[in-house]
Amino acid sequence: MSDATGAVAPGRPAGDDGDDVTVETAKRERAIAAAAGTLAAPHTYTVASRGWEDLPDAVEDDLMVINMGPQHPSTHGVLRMVLTLDGETVVDNKPVIGYLHTGIEKNLEFRPWVHGVTFVTRMDYLSPLFNELGYCLAVEKLLGITDDVPERASAIRVILTELNRVSSHLVWLATGGMELGSTTAMIYGFRERETVLDMFEFVTGLRMNHAFIRPGGIAQDLPEGFAGRVTTAIAELNDRIDEFEDLLTGNPVWVERNKGVAILTAEQCLDLGVTGPVLRSTGIAHDLRKAAPYCGIDQYDFDVVVTDTADAFGRYLVRINEMRQSLRIVSQAVARLPGGPVMVADKKVAWPAQLALGPDGIGNSPEYISKIMGQSMEALIHHFKLVTQGFAVPEGQVYCAVESPRGELGYHVTSNGTNKPYRVKVRDPSFIHIGALADLTAGLLLPDVIAGVASLDPVMGGVDR
Amino acid sequence: MAASGSGNPNMSSGEAAKLRSRTVPERQLGEQLRAVRDRLVAEFDGLEVVGFRGELTLVCEPSQVPDILRLCRDDPALSCELLADLSGVHWPGGQREVVAAETTGWPRYDRGDEAGHIELDYMLRSLRHNHVFRIRTVLPDDEPRIASVTGIYRSAEIMEREVYDFFGVDFTGHPDLRRILMPDEWEGHPHRKDYPLGGVEVQYKGATIPPPDQRSY
Repeated sequence: MSDATGAVAPGRPAGDDGDDVTVETAKRERAIAAAAGTLAAPHTYTVASRGWEDLPDAVEDDLMVINMGPQHPSTHGVLRMVLTLDGETVVDNKPVIGYLHTGIEKNLEFRPWVHGVTFVTRMDYLSPLFNELGYCLAVEKLLGITDDVPERASAIRVILTELNRVSSHLVWLATGGMELGSTTAMIYGFRERETVLDMFEFVTGLRMNHAFIRPGGIAQDLPEGFAGRVTTAIAELNDRIDEFEDLLTGNPVWVERNKGVAILTAEQCLDLGVTGPVLRSTGIAHDLRKAAPYCGIDQYDFDVVVTDTADAFGRYLVRINEMRQSLRIVSQAVARLPGGPVMVADKKVAWPAQLALGPDGIGNSPEYISKIMGQSMEALIHHFKLVTQGFAVPEGQVYCAVESPRGELGYHVTSNGTNKPYRVKVRDPSFIHIGALADLTAGLLLPDVIAGVASLDPVMGGVDR
Repeated sequence: MAASGSGNPNMSSGEAAKLRSRTVPERQLGEQLRAVRDRLVAEFDGLEVVGFRGELTLVCEPSQVPDILRLCRDDPALSCELLADLSGVHWPGGQREVVAAETTGWPRYDRGDEAGHIELDYMLRSLRHNHVFRIRTVLPDDEPRIASVTGIYRSAEIMEREVYDFFGVDFTGHPDLRRILMPDEWEGHPHRKDYPLGGVEVQYKGATIPPPDQRSY
């Protein structure tokens, strides 16, 4: 694998090249195997930097510990797995994470509440809108304004997040397909994702990291012509999803690589905290959109997709059909989109900027500028205070969870009554799923590990935060 | 929370009472959560019930946590199949300024003469009954220690490693308690409020931008 090439030094003291974890793991595994009487020879060979050819033949009968990642094209980002192999069969898998840790949770504690949105949107970069939504729902719950959020804002939130689910699953299909050698799936997946990202760019101005959902509502209303464009996009995407199914569902190679691979039973899933499509592939119809509906998503007609195969192929079917269900929700929400404002009426919370499109691009509207600069000193003071200081949020702690494309995305938000969060703790589904990797890959052949990790769909930006 | 005889030597009962008064009890819990509350309060002594924004929190002694979680998992009326999450919050002790309405600069978090403590929140979710609630316990912030619940929910393995990494809580009985997000050789636990923040050195005439909590702007 990628960084496990190198010289053999039998009995050489380990760990002078920063690979202590690997070596320690090897020792521990060896000790376990020795205790169980399954280890033939008591030798430890450390391959540190080059020279696999010098590795004695005796190693063939031994367990081998190799690093897969963090720089490996098939590990879905900077995931490093320390694999203990018996031949080509995985005996143990110890994931090592943290390569992408940027301290987002800590950063949030030093910015006003509204600024938090721009941070959380960068966590799980494939589902930025779900992160924004989870955070904003938590802040609104702390403020006690959950019921004051206008219906139109809630409906737009549903439209955007469900479109985001489609784009996220498309990336899963693209990267997962590429990892299994199906470059067609990769090209198609990324191409279709562009359709969704174009919609996001049309609405929010950005393809990702939108910071569009804000505490109290959304940043701006939908642009003119949105309904028409999104309806066209939905029709197009539905066709393309059928195309994916034609391409892959009956494809012998795809079936061979995925069917019966990386099985995680319902009991294991629950014990390990696994949620989302992986849990639904075991036949458990748990979906927070039904169990704990948010933003009025329960008023739309949709099904929770389940299969009972509990393998990588089942997860593929669940995700493919979930995309169809998400498009169903979007078309219903667009059809009965209510009118009205998109931000709470409370001017102590709502961002004061009134944006308008001028000759030099989007900016504060001339009417609004002339009002705060020329007519109302109080409006200017209010604008200044809200923009520089933000609003204070009552003391307390809440937990808000949304059904992200990967499972339960929860926000523990603690306030101590000031204008900045005291602590924001994110329950990222990808992070919890990393804890299930050892179970998922136990007993698999090495190439199936790739299929297994792909079917779990971890996003390292969310894992490491 | 700390009553006499608990594993929390740093906190007198008076201080513990002060902590309790922080969150205002609320009567508007859903029917299902009231049933959960009644079931657990009947089973365990000294549980304290906190309701906030319709969420149920039960505050218990650190020593009670494994027993409560085991009952929550096994009892058919509670049936919590998922340990949804484990979260920590650090409240430092010491008598310092309380400035809640600070506008410019950075907020101060100190609340008078409390003993420093770490709150642990175990979120439990039942798929069968569709409820979610929180078991909270409070540990002193010097040498925080609590029994691991990895034997009850294996998902706790990765969650407890994160709390250990960020807060230094020692989960006794955890099979592999190592740092998870920070580098192995890192010193200190970054989500504790007494963890020093870094400033920024700038090249201009040796000036330094102070850390956020020491800035005057």
